[in-house]
Amino acid sequence: MHAFSYVKARTLKEATDTLLAHSEAKLLAGGMTLIPTLKARLAQPTHLIDIGGIEALKGISLKAGQLTIGAATRHVEVANSPVVKRAIPALAYLASQIGDPQVRNRGTMGGSLANNDPAADYPSAALSLNATIVTNRREIVADDFFQGLFTTALDSDEIITAVRWPVVGKSAYEKFPHPASGYAMAGAFVAHNTKGTRVAITGAGPGVFRWMEAEQALGKKMNAKALEALQLEAADLNEDMHGTKEYRANLAKVMTKRAVAKLSGK
Amino acid sequence: MDQHHHSPLFTVDGAKLSRLEDLRLITGKGRYASDWNDPQQLHACFLRADRAHANIVSINTDKALQHPGVKAIYTGADALAAGYLRSANFLTFAGKDGMKALVPDRPCLAIGKVRFVGDQVAMVVAQSHLAAQDACDLIEVVYEDLPAVIDPVAALQPGSVLIHDDIPGNSPFEAEAGNEAEVTQAIAKAAHVTKLSVDCTRVTASPMEPRAALIAYDKTTEQYTVHTPSQGVNMTRRQFAAYANNMSEDKIRVEVEDVGGGFGQRSSVYPEYVAMMIAAKALGHSIKWVSTRTESFLTDTHGRGNLITATLAMDENAQFTALRIDWITDMGAFLSPTGPVSHIRNPSTCLNGVYKIPALYGHFKVALTNTALVAAYRGAGRPDIAYAIERVVDTAALELNMNPADLRRRNYIPANEFPYKTATGSVYECADLPTLSAKALQLSDWSGFEARRLSSLAKGKLRGIGMSTVIEGTGAGMYPKDEIELSANAAGELTAHTVAHSQGQGHQTSFAMLISDAMQIPVEKIKIKQGDPARSPHIVGNHSGGSRSMVGAGTVCHLAALKLIEAAKSLAAEDLGVEPSQVSYSKGVFQAAGSRKKITLGELASKKTVSVKAEGAFSKQTFPNGSHITEVEVDPETGVSEIVSYLTVDDCGHVVSHTIVEGQVHGAVVQGLGQVFGEHIVYDKQTGQMITASFSDYVMPKAGDLKSIQVEECPTMSKLGPLGIKGVGEAGCTASLGALVNAVVNALHPYGIKHIDMPLTPAKVWATIEQAKSQR
Repeated sequence: MHAFSYVKARTLKEATDTLLAHSEAKLLAGGMTLIPTLKARLAQPTHLIDIGGIEALKGISLKAGQLTIGAATRHVEVANSPVVKRAIPALAYLASQIGDPQVRNRGTMGGSLANNDPAADYPSAALSLNATIVTNRREIVADDFFQGLFTTALDSDEIITAVRWPVVGKSAYEKFPHPASGYAMAGAFVAHNTKGTRVAITGAGPGVFRWMEAEQALGKKMNAKALEALQLEAADLNEDMHGTKEYRANLAKVMTKRAVAKLSGK
Repeated sequence: MDQHHHSPLFTVDGAKLSRLEDLRLITGKGRYASDWNDPQQLHACFLRADRAHANIVSINTDKALQHPGVKAIYTGADALAAGYLRSANFLTFAGKDGMKALVPDRPCLAIGKVRFVGDQVAMVVAQSHLAAQDACDLIEVVYEDLPAVIDPVAALQPGSVLIHDDIPGNSPFEAEAGNEAEVTQAIAKAAHVTKLSVDCTRVTASPMEPRAALIAYDKTTEQYTVHTPSQGVNMTRRQFAAYANNMSEDKIRVEVEDVGGGFGQRSSVYPEYVAMMIAAKALGHSIKWVSTRTESFLTDTHGRGNLITATLAMDENAQFTALRIDWITDMGAFLSPTGPVSHIRNPSTCLNGVYKIPALYGHFKVALTNTALVAAYRGAGRPDIAYAIERVVDTAALELNMNPADLRRRNYIPANEFPYKTATGSVYECADLPTLSAKALQLSDWSGFEARRLSSLAKGKLRGIGMSTVIEGTGAGMYPKDEIELSANAAGELTAHTVAHSQGQGHQTSFAMLISDAMQIPVEKIKIKQGDPARSPHIVGNHSGGSRSMVGAGTVCHLAALKLIEAAKSLAAEDLGVEPSQVSYSKGVFQAAGSRKKITLGELASKKTVSVKAEGAFSKQTFPNGSHITEVEVDPETGVSEIVSYLTVDDCGHVVSHTIVEGQVHGAVVQGLGQVFGEHIVYDKQTGQMITASFSDYVMPKAGDLKSIQVEECPTMSKLGPLGIKGVGEAGCTASLGALVNAVVNALHPYGIKHIDMPLTPAKVWATIEQAKSQR
């Protein structure tokens, strides 16, 4: 680790002011990505602004068909919340599958979305359900938010304050965890309502994406068999010692099939 | 023996525990290497090679020396000045045609050349760890890159780049066992020959405790005091002294309490430690260093790394007639103290496994590569040879269309042929393989497998069954005997000092149980002390490794207790005014015959010194053996293998604590499945950069990987010691590799798949299935 100054922000304004005052400052929420990066001396921020204690960023509420979750809400709280379990059970399930108990006890929803790790779990749910990312200055729909590998629509001094999840229809998440890291090698979040079906794939590619062919096939027939003949194009997917592009394409399909089967109760 | 299945619980500070040390360890009261501190200590940090093979053109430390807090920087020039150039090496036996091993120098800081990513180039010593780390970044090294050779087969090719100028062909050693001509002849005459090449992959031990040291120098006594993870302080002292230019062992004091995992990786004295000795003496301060996990991946010794080809010859009755083993062992860039000896001697001892094979030949070739060093790792060559044999036997069964259990049964060494002299000259002491194997087959319902396979298939899963029956030599040590010093105090408590050092094996429980049994004193009143510098130099004994501690030090705990009773009887006789022969002993009380006169052990110890030193010499090996049977379900859609049952039937002789034996078997089986399904140290073949240098890529086994395991015993008693004990610490590794791979290959056999090399990752299994499907 390199030396840095630690700032505990009490309010959102204090956090933004500090962020604006120091060009090399970084926000710290759960720290599940940032702290390992610092330990490996791969980042050298001058200041760490801890926003994990800001009350305005916490909490889970359900109002008028919208589930609102504060950005600093930890994965374990989402996984265990009766409100989330009732409104969007797949989201609670997804949260229960992130990392390990230590990660789930520290990591936050806002931190995961802002980081947009291509193998993180939350982006698939956000894109599939087209959640709204609320920041200290605007609202961004998931369709516009994710912009590829570790890139989002957020400005450098913008802070996610909450995420609004539409509560409609049914959804399911299936994930194949990376054998070492536990991140998604491929995760499929499938959401289905009267307007149609959205399939978001995480882990397999350089960023979360929608699998349009699968959505069309499921639009005609909402069952796993509808996907049988499809092949996800492997060329643009990730490849490393733990899996080829072809293996990831296969996993994305298998996870989508399993999510669809789960969603339709089969 | 029934009580072994009902191991007692001990009461420690009000808690009911199955091991005496657990409360202390799980409540953070253990004292590990990095827990030792000196208020005046300075901190070391190592600049390491960022490339696999290069000449060092220059090292400029000017800027780094200016960094605030930096006290000194050391490089290869300092290693040369101190003469700290050669680590100890225990490879003492002669090789092929009497050749001696060419042991390359390994200066404690690189001189002129770096030979693997992580090789230590310079050591910064500063007032804080952070300052030392920052200063490392300021050292400027100019390298002249050389081509790197990562693959051991490529390293042995003529014309390969040389890693050491004085080691031709990158091969420092070659050895043979058995008789090549006999084997060649038998293969030529065989009715059937099965040949299989397997990669017993390179892995790393990953103990929870990182490598660390605190090293101080005392000007007056000219002694160094060392705190570092160790498997036994005698061997650690010996290696420190050897590395430090053959300094007298008296100049090294080693003080070690708890050790958080050893596995052979903590048996070596590493170059960083002796480099720290230079700084401790020059600067007059204790020097502290704690490695990062990345450094652990890059520079702690790795394990296995053997390419093995087994050629098995059979007659028309499927009786084995000969076995040839061709073995290339990748030792990395230098020879570790334990690597070459254990990777050649251990497999030579058990070259025929559990089978009666009249002709044997093993050829072992050591290769050097631009990678981290390889050393002993839980089993150290035994799991490797057992894996090769149990895979080739299963392959032979497949080729002959025989049940693998039948083929094994036909070839097991009969019980009445023990002690059995193998064709490589070792003598297996005792075993009853047919009985042990029959017990495993029965408990696992081997014959009912087909029904289970069909019910898995109905769920879309491919079920496979695999067995592995193995034997291994354990117990022999480097020191001629094992001693235990046992003393009583006024409270009637006993303290035993031992060299054998628990790294998690539970000696504090199992050794205490032996003393408790012999002396009829509650186990909670017995303390086992290890690594005490005031005592250890006066005690001869072996480190813990090679599954030897219960065989050696454990047995001597029993002998020490008996000796203490006799010695104390004499003292009690004086006190009671009777002849020693008239004193009887029971439950901590000495009683004079025919009178009411008695004295307790505590009272006696308050008046006189009640202390003995006992010894036992165990120069021969014991031969634990066992049969493991496992079933897996493979998901053909994802390639995931799930272990659905795992049974072990082991013969480790007399069992002192079933709990401890179970713990050893559980741990070793999980370590085995780690290697089978995921663990793998991988280097980029061109650059020599390690691809798996963190737990994000190095696949550790997880608790859910083995949901249940049944541990059974089928003992035959060793006569090597009075208690009949055989070693067990490594048995689970030795048997599990073959059993698990056999089970997966069995599951995939419907696709015509005959072999897959470890690790059997989901991606690899899926790709193998897809390829097999496309070829049909």
